[in-house]
Amino acid sequence: MKIKVNKEKLVMSITIGIACFALMLVMFMQFKMVKQTDITAIETMRESELKLELSSWNEKYKQLYARYEEVVTKMEEYKNESVTDQKTAQLLEAELEQLNELLGKTDVVGQGIVIQLIDNQGKKISEDATVYAISKENLLRVINELFAAGAEAISINGNRVISTSAVYTIGTDILKINNGNKISSPYVINAIGNPDYLKSSVSGKGGIVDELEELGHETSVDIRDEIEIEKYSDDISTKYIK
Amino acid sequence: MNKKTISLVLGLMCVVLSFGIAVQIKTINGTGTTISTNTRENELRDAVLKAKEKYDNLYKKLEDMETQLETERTNSTQNNDELTKLENTIKGGNKILGLSEVKGNGIVITVDDNQNIALSSWYADPNWLIVHDIDIINIVNELKNVDAEAISINGQRIVSTSAIECDGNVIKVNGQKIGAPFVIKAIGYPELLMGLDRFGGYLDYLRDERFLNVDIEKVDKEDIIIPKYTGVMKFEYAESK
Repeated sequence: MKIKVNKEKLVMSITIGIACFALMLVMFMQFKMVKQTDITAIETMRESELKLELSSWNEKYKQLYARYEEVVTKMEEYKNESVTDQKTAQLLEAELEQLNELLGKTDVVGQGIVIQLIDNQGKKISEDATVYAISKENLLRVINELFAAGAEAISINGNRVISTSAVYTIGTDILKINNGNKISSPYVINAIGNPDYLKSSVSGKGGIVDELEELGHETSVDIRDEIEIEKYSDDISTKYIK
Repeated sequence: MNKKTISLVLGLMCVVLSFGIAVQIKTINGTGTTISTNTRENELRDAVLKAKEKYDNLYKKLEDMETQLETERTNSTQNNDELTKLENTIKGGNKILGLSEVKGNGIVITVDDNQNIALSSWYADPNWLIVHDIDIINIVNELKNVDAEAISINGQRIVSTSAIECDGNVIKVNGQKIGAPFVIKAIGYPELLMGLDRFGGYLDYLRDERFLNVDIEKVDKEDIIIPKYTGVMKFEYAESK
Protein backbone atom coordinates (compact mmCIF):
# COMPACT_ATOMS: atom_id res chain seq x y z
CA MET A 1 0.00 0.00 0.00
CA LYS A 2 1.27 3.39 -0.86
CA ILE A 3 0.70 6.22 1.50
CA LYS A 4 0.10 9.59 -0.04
CA VAL A 5 1.98 12.31 1.64
CA ASN A 6 0.62 15.78 1.48
CA LYS A 7 3.39 18.10 2.56
CA GLU A 8 1.17 20.83 3.84
CA LYS A 9 -0.95 18.46 5.90
CA LEU A 10 2.12 16.80 7.36
CA VAL A 11 3.56 20.09 8.52
CA MET A 12 0.25 21.04 10.08
CA SER A 13 -0.10 17.72 11.88
CA ILE A 14 3.40 17.94 13.24
CA THR A 15 2.86 21.49 14.44
CA ILE A 16 -0.36 20.54 16.18
CA GLY A 17 1.29 17.45 17.61
CA ILE A 18 4.10 19.49 19.11
CA ALA A 19 1.64 22.00 20.52
CA CYS A 20 -0.38 19.24 22.15
CA PHE A 21 2.75 17.64 23.52
CA ALA A 22 3.89 20.94 25.02
CA LEU A 23 0.52 21.51 26.62
CA MET A 24 0.46 18.02 28.09
CA LEU A 25 3.95 18.53 29.43
CA VAL A 26 2.92 21.74 31.14
CA MET A 27 -0.05 19.98 32.67
CA PHE A 28 1.98 17.10 33.99
CA MET A 29 4.52 19.46 35.42
CA GLN A 30 1.75 21.22 37.23
CA PHE A 31 0.33 17.97 38.55
CA LYS A 32 3.73 16.89 39.71
CA MET A 33 4.42 20.17 41.43
CA VAL A 34 1.17 20.04 43.31
CA LYS A 35 1.87 16.48 44.35
CA GLN A 36 5.43 17.13 45.42
CA THR A 37 4.93 20.17 47.54
CA ASP A 38 2.71 18.18 49.90
CA ILE A 39 0.84 21.38 50.49
CA THR A 40 -1.43 20.27 53.29
CA ALA A 41 1.48 19.71 55.62
CA ILE A 42 3.61 22.67 54.87
CA GLU A 43 1.28 25.53 53.98
CA THR A 44 -0.25 25.77 57.41
CA MET A 45 3.09 25.97 59.20
CA ARG A 46 4.20 29.13 60.88
CA GLU A 47 7.70 30.53 60.97
CA SER A 48 8.82 28.77 64.13
CA GLU A 49 7.50 25.45 62.91
CA LEU A 50 9.17 25.91 59.56
CA LYS A 51 12.48 26.64 61.24
CA LEU A 52 12.18 23.45 63.26
CA GLU A 53 11.22 21.50 60.17
CA LEU A 54 14.19 22.87 58.28
CA SER A 55 16.70 22.06 60.98
CA SER A 56 15.22 18.60 61.37
CA TRP A 57 15.62 17.90 57.65
CA ASN A 58 19.19 19.18 57.73
CA GLU A 59 19.94 17.01 60.74
CA LYS A 60 18.40 14.01 59.01
CA TYR A 61 20.45 14.74 55.92
CA LYS A 62 23.64 14.70 57.95
CA GLN A 63 22.77 11.33 59.44
CA LEU A 64 21.80 9.96 56.07
CA TYR A 65 25.05 11.17 54.58
CA ALA A 66 27.06 9.44 57.29
CA ARG A 67 25.14 6.25 56.60
CA TYR A 68 25.72 6.65 52.87
CA GLU A 69 29.46 6.98 53.32
CA GLU A 70 29.46 3.96 55.58
CA VAL A 71 27.69 1.82 53.00
CA VAL A 72 30.05 3.01 50.27
CA THR A 73 33.07 2.08 52.37
CA LYS A 74 31.66 -1.33 53.15
CA MET A 75 30.80 -1.98 49.54
CA GLU A 76 34.31 -1.10 48.44
CA GLU A 77 35.81 -3.27 51.12
CA TYR A 78 33.87 -6.27 49.91
CA LYS A 79 34.88 -5.49 46.38
CA ASN A 80 38.56 -5.32 47.23
CA GLU A 81 38.73 -8.16 49.68
CA SER A 82 36.69 -10.62 47.71
CA VAL A 83 39.84 -12.59 46.95
CA THR A 84 40.39 -14.03 50.39
CA ASP A 85 37.64 -15.70 52.38
CA GLN A 86 39.31 -14.82 55.63
CA LYS A 87 39.03 -11.09 55.00
CA THR A 88 35.43 -11.48 53.88
CA ALA A 89 34.64 -13.35 57.08
CA GLN A 90 36.10 -10.46 59.07
CA LEU A 91 33.93 -7.97 57.22
CA LEU A 92 30.84 -10.08 57.76
CA GLU A 93 31.59 -10.44 61.44
CA ALA A 94 31.97 -6.68 61.76
CA GLU A 95 28.63 -6.10 60.08
CA LEU A 96 27.00 -8.69 62.28
CA GLU A 97 28.38 -7.05 65.37
CA GLN A 98 26.90 -3.72 64.38
CA LEU A 99 23.58 -5.39 63.62
CA ASN A 100 23.47 -7.14 66.98
CA GLU A 101 24.12 -3.86 68.72
CA LEU A 102 21.11 -2.29 67.03
CA LEU A 103 18.98 -5.36 67.68
CA GLY A 104 19.68 -5.11 71.40
CA LYS A 105 21.75 -8.26 71.61
CA THR A 106 24.76 -6.59 73.23
CA ASP A 107 25.26 -4.94 76.60
CA VAL A 108 25.61 -1.21 76.08
CA VAL A 109 26.91 1.70 78.15
CA GLY A 110 26.47 5.42 77.77
CA GLN A 111 25.10 8.53 79.38
CA GLY A 112 21.42 8.82 80.09
CA ILE A 113 18.80 8.87 82.80
CA VAL A 114 17.42 6.56 85.45
CA ILE A 115 13.73 6.81 86.30
CA GLN A 116 12.40 5.25 89.43
CA LEU A 117 8.67 4.75 89.97
CA ILE A 118 7.36 3.46 93.28
CA ASP A 119 3.78 2.29 93.13
CA ASN A 120 1.66 3.71 95.96
CA GLN A 121 -1.39 1.69 95.07
CA GLY A 122 -4.11 1.83 97.71
CA LYS A 123 -2.65 4.79 99.59
CA LYS A 124 -5.30 7.24 100.73
CA ILE A 125 -4.81 10.71 99.28
CA SER A 126 -8.05 12.10 100.60
CA GLU A 127 -11.08 10.74 102.41
CA ASP A 128 -12.57 8.93 99.47
CA ALA A 129 -9.75 8.79 96.97
CA THR A 130 -7.04 6.16 96.81
CA VAL A 131 -4.11 5.82 94.46
CA TYR A 132 -4.50 3.49 91.48
CA ALA A 133 -1.75 1.07 90.52
CA ILE A 134 0.80 2.04 87.87
CA SER A 135 -0.60 0.48 84.73
CA LYS A 136 0.97 -1.04 81.66
CA GLU A 137 -0.29 2.01 79.79
CA ASN A 138 1.72 4.26 82.13
CA LEU A 139 4.88 2.29 81.42
CA LEU A 140 4.18 2.22 77.69
CA ARG A 141 3.89 5.99 77.74
CA VAL A 142 7.17 6.38 79.61
CA ILE A 143 8.94 4.18 77.04
CA ASN A 144 7.28 5.99 74.16
CA GLU A 145 8.23 9.43 75.44
CA LEU A 146 11.83 8.32 75.93
CA PHE A 147 12.10 6.97 72.40
CA ALA A 148 10.50 10.16 71.10
CA ALA A 149 13.31 12.06 72.83
CA GLY A 150 15.92 9.93 71.05
CA ALA A 151 16.59 7.14 73.53
CA GLU A 152 18.84 4.49 72.00
CA ALA A 153 18.46 1.75 74.58
CA ILE A 154 15.90 1.28 77.35
CA SER A 155 15.42 -1.34 80.02
CA ILE A 156 12.74 -1.81 82.65
CA ASN A 157 13.87 -3.65 85.75
CA GLY A 158 16.72 -5.13 83.73
CA ASN A 159 14.58 -6.19 80.76
CA ARG A 160 15.84 -4.68 77.53
CA VAL A 161 13.10 -3.14 75.43
CA ILE A 162 13.52 -4.34 71.83
CA SER A 163 11.36 -4.05 68.73
CA THR A 164 9.06 -6.90 69.77
CA SER A 165 8.78 -6.01 73.46
CA ALA A 166 5.25 -5.82 74.83
CA VAL A 167 4.14 -4.87 78.32
CA TYR A 168 1.00 -6.57 79.47
CA THR A 169 -1.09 -7.22 82.54
CA ILE A 170 -1.65 -10.63 84.04
CA GLY A 171 -4.43 -10.82 86.56
CA THR A 172 -5.13 -7.49 88.13
CA ASP A 173 -1.83 -5.80 88.74
CA ILE A 174 1.10 -7.98 87.75
CA LEU A 175 2.92 -6.65 84.74
CA LYS A 176 4.89 -8.76 82.31
CA ILE A 177 7.39 -7.80 79.65
CA ASN A 178 9.27 -9.60 76.86
CA ASN A 179 7.62 -13.01 76.71
CA GLY A 180 6.67 -13.24 80.31
CA ASN A 181 9.26 -11.77 82.66
CA LYS A 182 7.35 -10.44 85.63
CA ILE A 183 8.07 -6.92 86.76
CA SER A 184 6.71 -5.02 89.72
CA SER A 185 7.25 -1.82 91.70
CA PRO A 186 9.70 -0.25 92.18
CA TYR A 187 10.07 0.15 88.44
CA VAL A 188 13.56 1.18 87.45
CA ILE A 189 13.78 2.42 83.90
CA ASN A 190 17.22 3.01 82.41
CA ALA A 191 17.56 4.96 79.20
CA ILE A 192 20.66 5.84 77.19
CA GLY A 193 20.62 8.95 75.03
CA ASN A 194 20.99 12.71 75.38
CA PRO A 195 20.32 13.08 79.13
CA ASP A 196 18.82 16.57 78.92
CA TYR A 197 16.39 15.66 76.16
CA LEU A 198 15.42 12.48 77.94
CA LYS A 199 14.84 14.18 81.26
CA SER A 200 12.80 17.04 79.89
CA SER A 201 10.62 14.66 77.87
CA VAL A 202 9.29 12.85 80.93
CA SER A 203 9.56 15.28 83.81
CA GLY A 204 8.22 18.77 84.19
CA LYS A 205 4.68 19.97 83.63
CA GLY A 206 2.72 17.56 81.50
CA GLY A 207 5.45 14.93 81.50
CA ILE A 208 4.36 11.40 82.24
CA VAL A 209 6.57 11.04 85.34
CA ASP A 210 5.24 14.32 86.69
CA GLU A 211 1.74 13.05 86.05
CA LEU A 212 2.40 9.85 87.98
CA GLU A 213 3.78 11.91 90.86
CA GLU A 214 0.57 13.94 90.89
CA LEU A 215 -1.46 10.74 90.92
CA GLY A 216 0.24 9.85 94.18
CA HIS A 217 3.23 7.71 93.27
CA GLU A 218 6.80 8.28 94.31
CA THR A 219 9.04 9.14 91.40
CA SER A 220 12.55 10.27 90.64
CA VAL A 221 14.53 11.10 87.51
CA ASP A 222 18.32 11.20 87.68
CA ILE A 223 20.88 12.05 85.07
CA ARG A 224 23.88 9.71 85.00
CA ASP A 225 27.17 9.87 83.13
CA GLU A 226 27.32 6.16 82.70
CA ILE A 227 24.48 3.70 82.58
CA GLU A 228 24.77 0.08 81.68
CA ILE A 229 21.91 -1.63 79.92
CA GLU A 230 21.88 -5.37 79.59
CA LYS A 231 21.31 -7.17 76.34
CA TYR A 232 18.14 -8.99 75.38
CA SER A 233 19.09 -12.49 76.33
CA ASP A 234 16.59 -14.63 74.41
CA ASP A 235 16.80 -15.51 70.77
CA ILE A 236 15.06 -13.13 68.41
CA SER A 237 13.63 -15.51 65.86
CA THR A 238 11.09 -14.99 63.12
CA LYS A 239 8.93 -17.46 61.26
CA TYR A 240 6.47 -15.45 59.27
CA ILE A 241 8.31 -12.59 57.63
CA LYS A 242 9.70 -13.37 54.23
CA MET B 1 -11.12 11.64 7.62
CA ASN B 2 -12.57 14.81 6.28
CA LYS B 3 -11.71 18.29 7.40
CA LYS B 4 -14.81 18.62 9.55
CA THR B 5 -13.95 15.65 11.74
CA ILE B 6 -10.38 16.80 12.14
CA SER B 7 -11.49 20.26 13.21
CA LEU B 8 -14.00 18.77 15.63
CA VAL B 9 -11.43 16.47 17.21
CA LEU B 10 -8.87 19.24 17.45
CA GLY B 11 -11.42 21.64 18.91
CA LEU B 12 -12.45 19.10 21.49
CA MET B 13 -8.88 18.42 22.46
CA CYS B 14 -8.13 22.10 22.84
CA VAL B 15 -11.16 22.54 25.09
CA VAL B 16 -10.14 19.63 27.28
CA LEU B 17 -6.56 20.82 27.55
CA SER B 18 -7.52 24.40 28.28
CA PHE B 19 -9.94 23.17 30.90
CA GLY B 20 -7.19 21.12 32.52
CA ILE B 21 -4.81 24.04 32.60
CA ALA B 22 -7.46 26.38 33.94
CA VAL B 23 -8.25 23.95 36.77
CA GLN B 24 -4.59 23.62 37.60
CA ILE B 25 -3.98 27.32 37.64
CA LYS B 26 -7.01 27.82 39.83
CA THR B 27 -5.81 25.16 42.29
CA ILE B 28 -2.42 26.72 42.52
CA ASN B 29 -3.90 30.19 42.89
CA GLY B 30 -6.21 28.85 45.55
CA THR B 31 -3.36 27.47 47.59
CA GLY B 32 -1.50 30.69 47.06
CA THR B 33 -4.11 32.70 48.87
CA THR B 34 -3.97 30.60 51.99
CA ILE B 35 -0.22 30.78 52.12
CA SER B 36 0.81 33.66 54.27
CA THR B 37 1.95 36.72 52.44
CA ASN B 38 4.90 36.85 54.74
CA THR B 39 7.89 36.50 52.45
CA ARG B 40 10.11 35.25 55.23
CA GLU B 41 7.78 32.32 55.69
CA ASN B 42 7.73 31.64 51.99
CA GLU B 43 11.49 31.65 51.88
CA LEU B 44 11.58 29.20 54.73
CA ARG B 45 9.01 27.07 53.00
CA ASP B 46 11.20 26.98 49.93
CA ALA B 47 14.20 26.07 52.02
CA VAL B 48 12.28 23.24 53.67
CA LEU B 49 11.20 21.87 50.31
CA LYS B 50 14.75 22.07 49.01
CA ALA B 51 16.12 20.35 52.08
CA LYS B 52 13.53 17.61 51.68
CA GLU B 53 14.38 17.18 48.04
CA LYS B 54 18.07 17.00 48.85
CA TYR B 55 17.33 14.34 51.42
CA ASP B 56 15.19 12.34 49.01
CA ASN B 57 17.90 12.43 46.36
CA LEU B 58 20.52 11.22 48.77
CA TYR B 59 18.14 8.53 49.95
CA LYS B 60 17.81 7.24 46.42
CA LYS B 61 21.57 7.14 46.10
CA LEU B 62 21.80 5.30 49.40
CA GLU B 63 19.30 2.70 48.22
CA ASP B 64 21.35 2.14 45.08
CA MET B 65 24.48 1.76 47.12
CA GLU B 66 22.79 -0.68 49.49
CA THR B 67 21.81 -2.86 46.55
CA GLN B 68 25.40 -2.73 45.32
CA LEU B 69 26.66 -3.63 48.77
CA GLU B 70 24.39 -6.65 48.83
CA THR B 71 25.58 -7.75 45.41
CA GLU B 72 29.23 -7.40 46.39
CA ARG B 73 28.56 -9.23 49.63
CA THR B 74 26.87 -12.09 47.81
CA ASN B 75 29.69 -12.19 45.29
CA SER B 76 32.31 -12.55 47.94
CA THR B 77 30.45 -15.21 49.89
CA GLN B 78 28.99 -17.41 47.19
CA ASN B 79 31.80 -19.96 47.10
CA ASN B 80 31.88 -20.63 50.78
CA ASP B 81 29.07 -22.22 52.82
CA GLU B 82 30.24 -20.73 56.12
CA LEU B 83 30.26 -17.24 54.67
CA THR B 84 26.89 -17.70 53.00
CA LYS B 85 25.49 -18.66 56.37
CA LEU B 86 26.87 -15.49 57.90
CA GLU B 87 25.47 -13.46 55.06
CA ASN B 88 22.03 -14.94 55.59
CA THR B 89 22.21 -14.08 59.28
CA ILE B 90 22.89 -10.48 58.30
CA LYS B 91 19.96 -10.47 55.87
CA GLY B 92 17.67 -11.97 58.49
CA GLY B 93 18.83 -9.46 61.07
CA ASN B 94 18.10 -6.56 58.74
CA LYS B 95 14.56 -7.83 58.33
CA ILE B 96 13.98 -8.01 62.09
CA LEU B 97 15.54 -4.61 62.54
CA GLY B 98 13.28 -3.14 59.88
CA LEU B 99 15.98 -2.24 57.37
CA SER B 100 14.47 -4.27 54.57
CA GLU B 101 11.00 -4.69 53.17
CA VAL B 102 9.18 -7.84 54.30
CA LYS B 103 6.05 -9.69 53.29
CA GLY B 104 3.95 -12.43 54.77
CA ASN B 105 0.65 -13.45 56.29
CA GLY B 106 -0.98 -11.39 58.96
CA ILE B 107 -3.70 -8.87 59.63
CA VAL B 108 -4.66 -5.37 58.60
CA ILE B 109 -6.43 -3.15 61.12
CA THR B 110 -8.07 0.12 60.13
CA VAL B 111 -9.06 2.61 62.81
CA ASP B 112 -10.83 5.83 61.96
CA ASP B 113 -12.39 8.76 63.84
CA ASN B 114 -16.12 8.80 64.24
CA GLN B 115 -17.31 11.85 62.36
CA ASN B 116 -20.97 11.44 63.16
CA ILE B 117 -21.86 14.92 64.41
CA ALA B 118 -25.20 13.82 65.84
CA LEU B 119 -23.32 11.37 68.01
CA SER B 120 -20.76 13.88 69.22
CA SER B 121 -23.45 16.33 70.25
CA TRP B 122 -24.79 14.04 72.95
CA TYR B 123 -21.53 12.32 73.68
CA ALA B 124 -19.91 13.77 76.78
CA ASP B 125 -16.48 14.39 75.36
CA PRO B 126 -16.06 14.65 71.57
CA ASN B 127 -12.38 13.91 72.09
CA TRP B 128 -13.37 10.32 72.70
CA LEU B 129 -14.52 9.97 69.12
CA ILE B 130 -11.02 10.65 67.81
CA VAL B 131 -8.11 8.25 67.52
CA HIS B 132 -5.32 9.31 69.88
CA ASP B 133 -1.65 8.43 70.10
CA ILE B 134 -2.26 6.27 73.16
CA ASP B 135 -4.80 4.22 71.19
CA ILE B 136 -2.20 3.45 68.55
CA ILE B 137 0.39 2.72 71.25
CA ASN B 138 -2.00 0.23 72.84
CA ILE B 139 -2.81 -1.49 69.57
CA VAL B 140 0.88 -1.81 68.70
CA ASN B 141 1.56 -3.18 72.17
CA GLU B 142 -1.19 -5.78 71.77
CA LEU B 143 0.23 -6.76 68.39
CA LYS B 144 3.67 -7.26 69.91
CA ASN B 145 2.05 -9.27 72.66
CA VAL B 146 0.73 -11.75 70.08
CA ASP B 147 4.18 -12.03 68.50
CA ALA B 148 3.79 -9.77 65.49
CA GLU B 149 7.12 -9.85 63.66
CA ALA B 150 6.74 -6.67 61.64
CA ILE B 151 4.32 -3.76 62.06
CA SER B 152 3.63 -0.62 60.04
CA ILE B 153 1.25 2.29 60.52
CA ASN B 154 0.26 4.15 57.38
CA GLY B 155 3.45 2.93 55.76
CA GLN B 156 5.76 3.80 58.66
CA ARG B 157 7.63 0.73 59.84
CA ILE B 158 7.69 0.28 63.60
CA VAL B 159 11.27 -0.35 64.73
CA SER B 160 12.70 -0.78 68.20
CA THR B 161 13.17 2.95 68.73
CA SER B 162 9.95 4.13 67.07
CA ALA B 163 7.82 6.59 69.02
CA ILE B 164 4.17 7.38 68.45
CA GLU B 165 3.55 11.00 69.38
CA CYS B 166 0.63 13.36 69.38
CA ASP B 167 1.29 16.46 67.30
CA GLY B 168 -1.73 18.72 67.31
CA ASN B 169 -4.40 17.00 65.31
CA VAL B 170 -2.11 14.52 63.64
CA ILE B 171 0.03 11.69 64.97
CA LYS B 172 3.74 11.37 64.38
CA VAL B 173 5.36 8.00 63.85
CA ASN B 174 9.12 7.92 63.34
CA GLY B 175 8.92 11.70 63.23
CA GLN B 176 6.66 11.57 60.16
CA LYS B 177 3.17 12.99 60.33
CA ILE B 178 0.28 10.65 59.61
CA GLY B 179 -3.46 11.16 59.90
CA ALA B 180 -6.66 9.16 60.22
CA PRO B 181 -7.67 6.64 58.99
CA PHE B 182 -4.85 4.65 60.51
CA VAL B 183 -4.00 1.47 58.64
CA ILE B 184 -1.98 -0.84 60.84
CA LYS B 185 -0.41 -3.84 59.14
CA ALA B 186 1.15 -6.70 61.06
CA ILE B 187 2.88 -9.86 59.93
CA GLY B 188 2.81 -12.95 62.10
CA TYR B 189 0.67 -16.02 62.73
CA PRO B 190 -2.74 -14.77 61.50
CA GLU B 191 -4.89 -16.81 63.90
CA LEU B 192 -2.92 -15.50 66.85
CA LEU B 193 -2.97 -11.93 65.57
CA MET B 194 -6.74 -12.14 65.15
CA GLY B 195 -6.84 -12.47 68.91
CA LEU B 196 -6.86 -8.67 68.95
CA ASP B 197 -10.48 -8.88 67.91
CA ARG B 198 -11.44 -10.68 71.10
CA PHE B 199 -14.21 -9.56 73.43
CA GLY B 200 -12.77 -7.14 75.98
CA GLY B 201 -9.69 -6.42 73.88
CA TYR B 202 -8.55 -2.93 73.01
CA LEU B 203 -10.18 -2.95 69.57
CA ASP B 204 -13.44 -4.02 71.18
CA TYR B 205 -13.14 -1.11 73.59
CA LEU B 206 -12.50 1.33 70.73
CA ARG B 207 -15.50 0.02 68.85
CA ASP B 208 -17.99 -0.36 71.69
CA GLU B 209 -17.15 2.41 74.12
CA ARG B 210 -15.47 4.97 71.92
CA PHE B 211 -17.64 4.41 68.83
CA LEU B 212 -14.61 4.53 66.53
CA ASN B 213 -14.69 2.85 63.15
CA VAL B 214 -12.60 -0.29 63.57
CA ASP B 215 -12.01 -2.89 60.92
CA ILE B 216 -9.85 -5.99 61.15
CA GLU B 217 -9.00 -8.28 58.29
CA LYS B 218 -7.04 -11.50 58.10
CA VAL B 219 -4.68 -11.72 55.14
CA ASP B 220 -3.32 -15.01 53.81
CA LYS B 221 -1.23 -15.79 50.73
CA GLU B 222 1.60 -13.63 52.03
CA ASP B 223 -0.09 -10.59 50.66
CA ILE B 224 0.97 -8.15 53.34
CA ILE B 225 3.94 -6.01 52.39
CA ILE B 226 5.56 -3.93 55.09
CA PRO B 227 8.06 -1.33 53.90
CA LYS B 228 11.45 -0.78 55.41
CA TYR B 229 12.32 1.92 57.91
CA THR B 230 13.46 4.97 55.99
CA GLY B 231 15.43 6.63 58.75
CA VAL B 232 18.97 5.99 59.88
CA MET B 233 19.64 3.69 62.79
CA LYS B 234 22.78 4.53 64.59
CA PHE B 235 23.79 4.81 68.20
CA GLU B 236 25.51 8.01 69.22
CA TYR B 237 25.33 7.65 72.96
CA ALA B 238 25.17 3.92 73.52
CA GLU B 239 28.29 1.87 73.05
CA SER B 240 28.68 -1.90 73.12
CA LYS B 241 30.75 -3.11 75.99
